[in-house]
Amino acid sequence: MSLPSSEHTIGPFFPRTLFRDGDNDLTIAAEGAAPTTKGEVIILRGQVRREDAVPCLNMILEAWQADAAGHFDHPLDPGRDRADPDFLGWGRAWTDGEGRYEFRTVMPGGYADPAGPRAPHINIAVMGAGLMRRAQTTVFFPDHESAHAVDPVMALVPPPLRPRLVAVPGGTQDGIRVFRFDIRLRGGPDEETPFFED
Amino acid sequence: MNHETVPDRFDPWPPGIQPDVPIAGYPNTWTHTPSQPLIRRPATRTEATFPLRLHRKLPCGEANLAEPIPGRPAIGQLMHLAGRVLDEDGRPVRGAVVELWQANASGRYFNPIDQRAAPLDPNFVGNGRVRTDEEGRYAFFTIKPGAYPVPVKETWWRPPHVHFSVIGPSSLSRLVTQMYFAGDPLNALDRILQSVPDEAARQRLIARDLPPAEVGDQWLGFTFDIVLRGRHATPSAP
Ligand SMILES: [Fe+3]
Repeated sequence: MSLPSSEHTIGPFFPRTLFRDGDNDLTIAAEGAAPTTKGEVIILRGQVRREDAVPCLNMILEAWQADAAGHFDHPLDPGRDRADPDFLGWGRAWTDGEGRYEFRTVMPGGYADPAGPRAPHINIAVMGAGLMRRAQTTVFFPDHESAHAVDPVMALVPPPLRPRLVAVPGGTQDGIRVFRFDIRLRGGPDEETPFFED
Repeated sequence: MNHETVPDRFDPWPPGIQPDVPIAGYPNTWTHTPSQPLIRRPATRTEATFPLRLHRKLPCGEANLAEPIPGRPAIGQLMHLAGRVLDEDGRPVRGAVVELWQANASGRYFNPIDQRAAPLDPNFVGNGRVRTDEEGRYAFFTIKPGAYPVPVKETWWRPPHVHFSVIGPSSLSRLVTQMYFAGDPLNALDRILQSVPDEAARQRLIARDLPPAEVGDQWLGFTFDIVLRGRHATPSAP
């Protein structure tokens, strides 16, 4: 048996050179690959801020989600065989000078988990200077209220905080629906984004 | 990736391993760390899984940081740094993506964010990405990084360290950490390393020196094993 290694901050210097165009585009599984054809392409964007609502530049965000039908290409998914081969489900973005990030992806599907029926959601991990451990949150989407009501993760979030985990419709861009999800790393109880233990 | 080694059990973090925050002398930890209690959630499929073919999106194989262009070596003490990525059962994590980045020999990063006056080395970018092999092994050829001061009012120095980002088979095992060098007097003064409460956990972040008999006389050799969270539900054979 081994004990896990300690987490540390990613710091301010995670190399720009480890990013490539398209890292924040989940619809493309590899450079030069054809985009997935399954599901509705969406844009998820927002702003990361810290105490006193100051925008955080150079934060690293990683997204992880099921494909449009709610499957993961992973042995822990009994529906793995039906996972979209053109969708990896993972992407990475970094925030600009105003703390803004953006992902392009497909609307995730919900799925039946042993813990309960999961509503469509995208897990987001935030890393950056000042965060010794990654901050983990989950983005839900509007128009799925009945699914949110029975989601086993949403059920653990105190009711007044639940709306903070639901992205806000932000119109369309080139015919693609845009959702806005702002992240407040640290703020008062009335402001802070709910984060999860791991 | 060998799918029999994908963990499906994630015990709570043992005490003393995760850093104690916020950290005195590291003001960003006071302004960025969430203040509200973290919510405990079950490990549903989204938490338990992660991309197993991430190397499609993140090209792997850049392991020679010391002389990426033949004939143009970086300045500094050459070092070979290798180790294994393991799970909590000591099983190799195969096919994990391992990213490494570090300062150059004068303690400066090749990153526009780092505006310190220390010299840049035109032959050193200082980052790479590889995938672990069947035994969970990774290896990089690089140079020993320099120390650098933290730009806060009461400055302290980061000891020479190497940053690691490891992406394994579960989102719960995602790990970002740093590696240190044995015997550096700055280690005891580093607010980041010292934020890990448990002495043994801090020691596990320090690389092991290899004797020249094992690595040859051309470069320093270090071993650094990384343990990701997660174990198999089925107990392994002894
Ligand atoms: Fe550093």
